Amino acid sequence: MNRELVLTLPLVSPHTYLLRRQARDAVLALPRYAALLLFGAFTVFPFWWAAAVALSGDGSQIWTFPAAFLPHDPGWRWFGRVFHEMPFWRYFANSLLIATATTALVLLLTIPCAYALSRMAFRGRQALFMLLLATLMVPAEVAIVPNFITCSRLGLLDSYAGVVLPNVAGAFGVFLMRQAFQDTPAEVLDAARVDGAGEFGVMWRVAVPMAKPMIATLAVFTFVAAWNDYLWPAVVLKERLNMPLAVGIFNDLTGPFAVSTNLVMAAIVLSVIPVVGAFALTQRVFLGGGGLVRPRPSCSR
Amino acid sequence: MPGVHPRTAYLFIAPFLAVFAVFTLWPMLFNLWLAFRDYFPQTGNSMWNGFAHFVELADSERFGHALKNSLIFLLLVPPLQVGALALALLVHARLPGIGFFRALYYLPVVIAVSIAAVVWQQVLRFDGLFNWFLESIHLIGFGEQPDWLGDRQLALYAVMAFSFWKNVGYYMVLYLAGLQTVPREPLEAAQIDGADAWQRLRHVVLPALQPVILLGTLLSTIQALKAFQEVIVLTGGAADTQTALVFVYGVAFFGHNFGLAATAGLIVTLVCLALAAVQLRFFGENGLLRRGG
Repeated sequence: MNRELVLTLPLVSPHTYLLRRQARDAVLALPRYAALLLFGAFTVFPFWWAAAVALSGDGSQIWTFPAAFLPHDPGWRWFGRVFHEMPFWRYFANSLLIATATTALVLLLTIPCAYALSRMAFRGRQALFMLLLATLMVPAEVAIVPNFITCSRLGLLDSYAGVVLPNVAGAFGVFLMRQAFQDTPAEVLDAARVDGAGEFGVMWRVAVPMAKPMIATLAVFTFVAAWNDYLWPAVVLKERLNMPLAVGIFNDLTGPFAVSTNLVMAAIVLSVIPVVGAFALTQRVFLGGGGLVRPRPSCSR
Repeated sequence: MPGVHPRTAYLFIAPFLAVFAVFTLWPMLFNLWLAFRDYFPQTGNSMWNGFAHFVELADSERFGHALKNSLIFLLLVPPLQVGALALALLVHARLPGIGFFRALYYLPVVIAVSIAAVVWQQVLRFDGLFNWFLESIHLIGFGEQPDWLGDRQLALYAVMAFSFWKNVGYYMVLYLAGLQTVPREPLEAAQIDGADAWQRLRHVVLPALQPVILLGTLLSTIQALKAFQEVIVLTGGAADTQTALVFVYGVAFFGHNFGLAATAGLIVTLVCLALAAVQLRFFGENGLLRRGG
């Protein structure tokens, strides 16, 4: 603990000292690591097991408890069959299209609205804010029935527009971006205005670049939510080849396709890999909280 | 603001508002309207029927059952919160590799619920991995494996276990953010005064975390009442796992009774709004916690 003890240091090199201290800390942390690994096992065992089963050419051991966690007669055979028996890449492309379109539209609609709410004075601003707040509280699932009717009236059933449009204008994103724009110093914006920039220019060239971290957060969260969305696409889409991964794979795997658990797990592993990869790249956004999980939700005006 | 015409503001808001009105605002109003009408999906015609749907729901054994299941789902809230807090305390320390564990615990949150459910269906099968595990540690004997997702006594709890696994990481991050705001001075003072780890947790950390605990509890309470997708993807509502929103979904898309579904949806909405009112009372601008009460 006490840094003064370092006075004995000349006997060992600073590097060795550091190593020793790290070793001591590591030993003290052993029980903690044990707990970490134990819960890690609980978190990860379904994926681990799925991967082991997917890699097993021999399907006889996949249910026996410890043995199932190691592949037997390992090989890529089942993965090949997934591509062969399922329109995997088609589902993948659909997911990509839906998630990208949703994210782009969310940013396009949300940013100007949040900017106006936080940086402009207009009649009804308070009312609009309260309205947005109110919709956050109502379970979105309730909107499924009316939205289904709306989409069928507008001829949007079984179309990508029908999947995307209901998800692009939510109060959540506005709250997030409003927070970011409120943190932008007024002097900077006013300076741009004095320099003769139009309001759109002020937003686009000054406020948006300054709010980049929050925009990235919103983009990542929206993309993941759209990629993983199961229920709404399942309700709107009828044509199998239009399904995103989360729906197509689920339908195929719980339907007549599910002849072999090895095959099912191979499809699961294939569909989880892009999510895990994307998560590994962007996990700072999620774990940092990114302002999303503030200890107190900001309701300030 | 100087020099900004209100018309500009409306132009900025209009695109968002148009889509928002059609797909968020309209559904709520339409749902309210539909709750008092008979709706015929084939023709799109509808007819006022007074409070007939409400009466039907009050008499409906199935809806009563679904409501009861939604309330049973609330049993998930305490383990979820205690688990998330324990996890947050576990990964709060600065240790090599701790970032890896944080990411690991958050992983189920970012996996699609449908994909995760397929694996859990296999794990919880009658002859699945979990029963083999129980057998190998001699918790159950051969031939008495429970059918976790098919047994009316067990299925709802199995769904809750899945929900715990899927969501605990989310609340962990919530508590992790909260732990970062716990002031250091009282912690160190307590340590100098000889308080052990449990006493510091009990008398310093937990009081400081109180707002987060309340937020997490309320969020997970609402989430439990809204329990829906987990049920759909794991059991499809079979084996007595229908919750209130599963009932809404089933009545609408399989029973084709949109009016009745809207009424049930309205009741769930009202319960959630009441809970949200409680939440705002605690967390709002003039909330009890802001006034230190």
